[in-house]
Amino acid sequence: MTARLLVEALRDPATVERLDAARWNALIAMARAERLIGTLAARITDRALPGDVRPIVTDALAEAEREKRQALWEADRAREALAALNVPVVLLKGTAYAAAGLRAEEGRFIGDLDILVPRADLDAVEAALIAAGWEWVKPDPYDDAYYRQWMHELPPMIHRTRDRMIDVHHTILPLTARQTPDAALLIADAVPLEDGLSILSPEDRICHAAAHMLADGDLAGGLRNLWDIHCLFGELPDRAMLEARAARHGLLPHVRRAQRLADHLYGSGTARLSAIDHLFIRRLLARDAWGRESRKLLRFAFFVRSHWLRMPPMMLARHLWTKWRKGHRPA
Amino acid sequence: MIVAPTHRLTLRIGPATFRIGSAWRRPIDQLARLYAGYPNAEGRIADFTVRLDPAGPLRRWLRPSIFITGDHGLADAAPMSLPHGLLAAEMGMNLQMALGWRRHLLLHASSVEKDGRALVMTGESGSGKSTLAAQLGERGWRLMGDEFALLDLFTGHVFPFPRLVSLKNSAIGVMEAEVDPARMGPPMRATAKGDIRHLVPRADAVARMGEGAAPALLLFPRFGHDLALRPVGQGEAFMRLTQASTNYVALGEPGFAALTRFVAETPAQAIDFPSGEAAIELVDQLWAALP
Amino acid sequence: MSKQTGYRRAPDDAVVVRPLDDITLIYHRPSGQTHMVVSPVPEIWAAMDPAVVMDADLVRERLALSYELDEAEEDMRAAIAAHLDEMAALGLVRRA
Repeated sequence: MTARLLVEALRDPATVERLDAARWNALIAMARAERLIGTLAARITDRALPGDVRPIVTDALAEAEREKRQALWEADRAREALAALNVPVVLLKGTAYAAAGLRAEEGRFIGDLDILVPRADLDAVEAALIAAGWEWVKPDPYDDAYYRQWMHELPPMIHRTRDRMIDVHHTILPLTARQTPDAALLIADAVPLEDGLSILSPEDRICHAAAHMLADGDLAGGLRNLWDIHCLFGELPDRAMLEARAARHGLLPHVRRAQRLADHLYGSGTARLSAIDHLFIRRLLARDAWGRESRKLLRFAFFVRSHWLRMPPMMLARHLWTKWRKGHRPA
Repeated sequence: MIVAPTHRLTLRIGPATFRIGSAWRRPIDQLARLYAGYPNAEGRIADFTVRLDPAGPLRRWLRPSIFITGDHGLADAAPMSLPHGLLAAEMGMNLQMALGWRRHLLLHASSVEKDGRALVMTGESGSGKSTLAAQLGERGWRLMGDEFALLDLFTGHVFPFPRLVSLKNSAIGVMEAEVDPARMGPPMRATAKGDIRHLVPRADAVARMGEGAAPALLLFPRFGHDLALRPVGQGEAFMRLTQASTNYVALGEPGFAALTRFVAETPAQAIDFPSGEAAIELVDQLWAALP
Repeated sequence: MSKQTGYRRAPDDAVVVRPLDDITLIYHRPSGQTHMVVSPVPEIWAAMDPAVVMDADLVRERLALSYELDEAEEDMRAAIAAHLDEMAALGLVRRA
């Protein structure tokens, strides 16, 4: 049993009407493990569901709704804190999808608030956030110095009373990665929202999602990232513009790979996969009927790969720290 | 090679169904024996999955060490030894409820029912709420739960979660003296919370696990002090109950509505008592004095 | 005298207010937070109009219409300004 069960249910919700109890149990456990239970619930809520499944779906939808409200409130608080600086603030990831009412936000699990600001304004942004009640998650001068020099974001901050985290990015990939997206362009072409915040352009959204998934991590949460990408593709006005933009950011291979994987799992299924693509798919589907990650060796290979991607070899020692930090934050 | 949990059991407790998978047989056998009187839930679609996983690659066999996980887990949970497997399973179920249940407001409280009305007792570990509920359960009250009281979001009634009562240290001896030995689980020594032994609720408490009751009295018990009684204001009760609820924040507005209704409509007292007998007598008096 | 900060209160349907015997509970819908407050916060809330930007002075005048304020004007204004500041930090009002 693999997460193919979950992927099928998302791709074609009608298929859940044929599931027996054992498969329902597996589907729910996998969806929760992949943080896709809200998305699954949104996809299947209009189907005929067994009596025991209906309350689970209702709960998941209510949870997603509450998450969304909290995420938008966090964005509002960040906006208030930064308003006086007159700095562009671009929402990223789940909060962005929620703020813009995109399809990707339906039922989505959100997590931290991620924002993108110009690198030149980082100090001012940091000071304003601290004045408004955010504080460092883990104050350690050595880690801190490394983080500021090499990462694409400030060290993580958490709000003192609300207990919610914020990640302030100045570009979308670590400076040590091999690709160097054009951060200034990301900000210049951001789409303004009503309240003064903005989100990335439709093309940049996909570039970011693809970069985040393929160049920045070990594919943990990959099924969720690919679902986002699948939804974003669905709302993309012009594919040609996307290719040009991805090339500009040095992310064309990533975007194309993301497109193939998303199509294979959630879309038409007609994309031609390379041998490496198949390896990715196997890694993404490595979940058993009890929600556990299976295929340990494959997972380890991707773990090593992710750190090789992020860092030149002499910095390899740092990866343990980074991974630990990421492991302690909601994906 | 990862192997799916080979030993499994599905349990229904109150409104919740748990699918439990274990790498070891013993905890599952123990659960099956103690929960034998509960409704058969095999083959059902479960609300939660609980897993007792080996804490490391060799830990299935060598000094077996259990990592408790499931749909909801804590990454830094301390592993437990195999003799405490039953406790691990119970903690696993508690964790799912505490982190994942949304159909009622969850209060960290014991509750008992008499004449269609519920007594709810909330307090820290060691407050005596569990032992008192167990004792009342042997004296004509129906035990609804020793750990979680479930507050209905629409009707305001309290619903049962009659899991195995978790008796700690001196409470073990107290209940051993009162109940049929067949209702007691295996003794577990030197756990993180001292000695523990489980008590199976009485048959009628299990049979009526779907029946709620209107709350009539809220108590904040404190065992091991001179007898004392103090009314608790609504504001204080509200504040203490939000701290005693694992899902108040997660529920949002329905949680707010349910909890404010509860404190507005249910009289509350803080009671200190030196012994179980004194507590029982005090409870009877307070109950009789209710309108 | 320096210009005072103006505040705009959240609309009526942004909150649920429940008075208990000794405190007042305010559930703030946009944030999902519950606040336990005592006088004069509920009174300040009631005295404010979501359609109007108000400073501490204006709030004090409104309060004086319904309540006997026995403190000096200046002290009252400072106290109200402090409360408005706190309410802004919680998101119940916004700086205009």
